[in-house]
Amino acid sequence: MVQGKNREVWTALLLLCFCCLASPVGIRAEEREVDPAKQEEEPSGLVPRLEFGLETRANFRHSELNRFPVPFPFTPAQLAPGQTRGFEETVNEGSHFEVSVVTLLVNAIWGDGLTAHAKIDAVDLYDRNPTSGDKKLDVDEAWIRFGVEALPAELPERGGVYLKIGKFPKFERQDDRHLESYGLVSTAFNRFEDAGAELGVSLGRHLYAKVSATAGNPVFIRDPNALAGDNGTDVFLRPFPNPDPALKSGIVILYDAEVEDIDVDGDLELGGGLGARFADESGRNGLDVLIWGYKRTLAETVELEGTFYGGDLDLLNGPGNAFSLPIEGDEKREFGANLWLYLGGFSFFGQYVDQELAGLPRKGFEGEVAWRFELPLAWAVGERQLFSYVAPSVRYSKLDNDFRNPAQTPSPSLNWDWEKLDYGLRLGVFSGVDLTLEYAINDFILGSGAHRENNEYLSTLRWKL
Amino acid sequence: MIQGYSRRAIVLVLFFLAAIAQAEELRGRVRLMARGGKGPAKGSDVRQAVVYFEPAAAAAVRPAGEPFEMVTRRKEFAPRVLTVPRGSRVRFPNQDPILHNVFSVSPENEFDLGIYKQGPGKEKRFDREGVVRVYCNVHHDMFANILVLDTPHFTAPDAEGGFVLGGLPRGKGRLTVWHDQAEPWTAEVELPREGAMTIPVEVVRPTIPPHLNKSGKSYFRSQRDRYNNR
Repeated sequence: MVQGKNREVWTALLLLCFCCLASPVGIRAEEREVDPAKQEEEPSGLVPRLEFGLETRANFRHSELNRFPVPFPFTPAQLAPGQTRGFEETVNEGSHFEVSVVTLLVNAIWGDGLTAHAKIDAVDLYDRNPTSGDKKLDVDEAWIRFGVEALPAELPERGGVYLKIGKFPKFERQDDRHLESYGLVSTAFNRFEDAGAELGVSLGRHLYAKVSATAGNPVFIRDPNALAGDNGTDVFLRPFPNPDPALKSGIVILYDAEVEDIDVDGDLELGGGLGARFADESGRNGLDVLIWGYKRTLAETVELEGTFYGGDLDLLNGPGNAFSLPIEGDEKREFGANLWLYLGGFSFFGQYVDQELAGLPRKGFEGEVAWRFELPLAWAVGERQLFSYVAPSVRYSKLDNDFRNPAQTPSPSLNWDWEKLDYGLRLGVFSGVDLTLEYAINDFILGSGAHRENNEYLSTLRWKL
Repeated sequence: MIQGYSRRAIVLVLFFLAAIAQAEELRGRVRLMARGGKGPAKGSDVRQAVVYFEPAAAAAVRPAGEPFEMVTRRKEFAPRVLTVPRGSRVRFPNQDPILHNVFSVSPENEFDLGIYKQGPGKEKRFDREGVVRVYCNVHHDMFANILVLDTPHFTAPDAEGGFVLGGLPRGKGRLTVWHDQAEPWTAEVELPREGAMTIPVEVVRPTIPPHLNKSGKSYFRSQRDRYNNR
């Protein structure tokens, strides 16, 4: 186990070193020093144009320590050393420097009509699915797309159709993020990639529709701050008593975890969306409105790497199927609406979601505003500007859980009503390097009606090649 | 003998003064107005306007021998508006310690200097009359205009909008006031003409026009890469 961990750390460090060494020649796509006559050369025939990218994120995180007693009859042997009752508590409290992810990106492009894309994450500290025991090398995205897919709030040149097959982000997910953290809604409903097929149709330049058939993200639990938390990890299975997981449980919400495999035998999740977009030709100003929905049948259980808890109904039924949430049936459905707005350097993203999870109703809203200011040229290194832009952002998110907990539960936070305020600043340090400083205030209402917080400071140095 | 020289000199001076008296001038004031003509325009610089006169009997235009200069400095072009006779060359020195890529897609005057670092820069000759919108492919907000004219009679207003166009030939011609944020104002005028003109020009466009990069793609696409921004 230790050897495995060391290997992963060494792999990450090697990738980081490579990243640092390669950086002096790494420049943004629009700054590449190439022959202008050649740079627009389109791939021809069967030979694709290949693009590679490498990204590293190093973080400093300070997580406030908070712990909340849980009404659950743990046996003394199930409790951490010295404890007389169980707690939900901050995942990994205190101050920590960590490399959270090293990502390799590969695109193969055969003209406008055919693109293949892969994104491989190593380390992936903040997106492990769902615990620290998850695999640390993950194919985050792998898909092939026929046709042209337009960005939200950007007009395609003409109407058209695309088909995307593989593992990819859900179409309603916020594509343009300004903070490293996630809001409650984006964590709960569409943070992780799904596997299957997505068909998009542009009816002219302004109207569009999307449908998808995917495996469906298994329902699990995680803390909405940077680290997910350790629930059901190996440490709880060991024969000696008093497990003491390094990362603690977190103060958890229900969320749609990443798919582990393409499950073509079970029920597929069917999704659809209708949207309208308006934009100027430069792409600087734009508006996009999308309404969407998904439906699938929850599985009895879903095996997830890194935890012995099962996902979907197995999780909702509680430990040993004896401490169930008040579920009815096995249908999972959600409806939502998105709004993207761009006005020069200003941007807004809003999302509303209404979900029913085996009869458990909950709804959420999330809105983020950001403003990107280009900075005047003051310093330069290697013919590129130092400190080129600054982008302050504020995000508010809210999650209302309209169901009751069982009298005894190890995770009472599942039905707490919750608000999260994230605010921060992203600074363009150098070509391909930015620094994000942010603070998250989690405010939730306990079963007693009292308000409590679980806050976190996070700074992220991101390095893209 | 001396008397003879003096007489000749007096005749020459009189001839010269008569010739000067023949050259006409146009005076006036350009006023930038807000959209709809409701009051003065705020945030627009009248000094970026160009006032030019095209005589009905077209005058020969001689391109400048030395190239004009439009400098990239602090992520801006200087000057923001450059007026040159047709056939002139313009050099684009880069005075910034960062890379720039100056280009234009204006019809018949398009060019792409490619990416270049600090230094004397590159040249482009403009053989077609018209407005050349100049951008940088790296920095969206860098924008300038080169006005290529077929007349030598042009000037820029002062900070108050006042202008004097001197040395104009007598007779009919067309006066134009051009400003990047407005539709061109034109009028047929006959010289000599008495009194100063007041020319209201309505600002209808933003300071930086919506534009794409040299490949016809949005500058902002790379900032919003859907598949590289989790």
